[in-house]
Amino acid sequence: MTASSNIAFEKLVRPHFDRLYRLAWRLTGQKVEAEDLFQELLIKAYGKLDDLVKIDEPGSWLSRIMYNLFIDERRRFARRRMHTVEEGEMAGDGLAGLPGTDNPAWDHERLERMRTLDSALAKLSDEHRMIVLLHDTEGYKLAEIQELIGIPVGTVKSRLHRARRRLREILSADGTFS
Amino acid sequence: MQNNDLDKDLDKQDQEILALLKDYPMPEATAGYFDQALVRATHEGSRRQRNRWVMAGFGSAIAAGLVLWMAGGFFLTTPDLPVADPAIPGITMTLEDPRTINLVFASAEPLDAATLTVQLPAGIEMPGFAGQREVTWQTSLNAGKNLLPLKLIATSPLGGEVYAILRHDDRSRTFRLRIDVS
Repeated sequence: MTASSNIAFEKLVRPHFDRLYRLAWRLTGQKVEAEDLFQELLIKAYGKLDDLVKIDEPGSWLSRIMYNLFIDERRRFARRRMHTVEEGEMAGDGLAGLPGTDNPAWDHERLERMRTLDSALAKLSDEHRMIVLLHDTEGYKLAEIQELIGIPVGTVKSRLHRARRRLREILSADGTFS
Repeated sequence: MQNNDLDKDLDKQDQEILALLKDYPMPEATAGYFDQALVRATHEGSRRQRNRWVMAGFGSAIAAGLVLWMAGGFFLTTPDLPVADPAIPGITMTLEDPRTINLVFASAEPLDAATLTVQLPAGIEMPGFAGQREVTWQTSLNAGKNLLPLKLIATSPLGGEVYAILRHDDRSRTFRLRIDVS
């Protein structure tokens, strides 16, 4: 590969970095894993540069590769899921990114609610958590989720319904909503 | 952000949950991470390409085997060391309460005869190595993620940082873990 290949590659992928990083984070839920996944995607995409230049929508193409890498990785390590620190400690990793406000009391309440949500999301199945985060948090359309994970829109919709219902049950049982 | 008719029948509680979900945070990528990832991708992508060519050459020119094999072997046995996470994870331990921390080393390729050194701050010990601030041993890593369960105990409330330093050939990576003691 030449310097001009590197420039062409960067031009194609960089506009999608934020969205891809967010996807990696939502799929893995951990910074270390998200950065590994993002890195592996770029390496793989670079090896497919000849294909990438012909793609009309590189963002969707890259997202699908990332999702497939994630699934492959999850299958490979299904029996030995690993964490840099103990599971409970990392569950709230994303909460470190919660921006502050000028109202400490409100911040505290918001942080507590986010911790509760974080814990409730951890109780969902991987499939349900992924769909609810992609749709309700990241704003993916049903058709985009269909294209990403390769299941019919109807199935995406029913999984989303079930995931939301389950989340509500967990939060209600927890006393967050009564 | 909602984008279809799924949400039209939601009651107040559902809407509260949706509002929470929309607000659900995630940290930004570490400053400079995207640039580093891009550089690594182009280097690693080229290296993998090169390995494929070397192996293809080996298959088609077996008569010249030894030299090509050495070249191929060289490329194939100089994997990148695992990448250290720039953010420092942290945990809180309770005084005199042993706790197992799982350190994960993600390696792109197998690493034989790597050396792992764990350096401990004063007041954090590994059971069985009382008073030792540094423990070193040889290890091999598989391609993918390698788990090291590290049992630690806090003998003072000072806390500090644990360093796990992985060395292979003349390269090294340092992993850090911040420990607070309550």
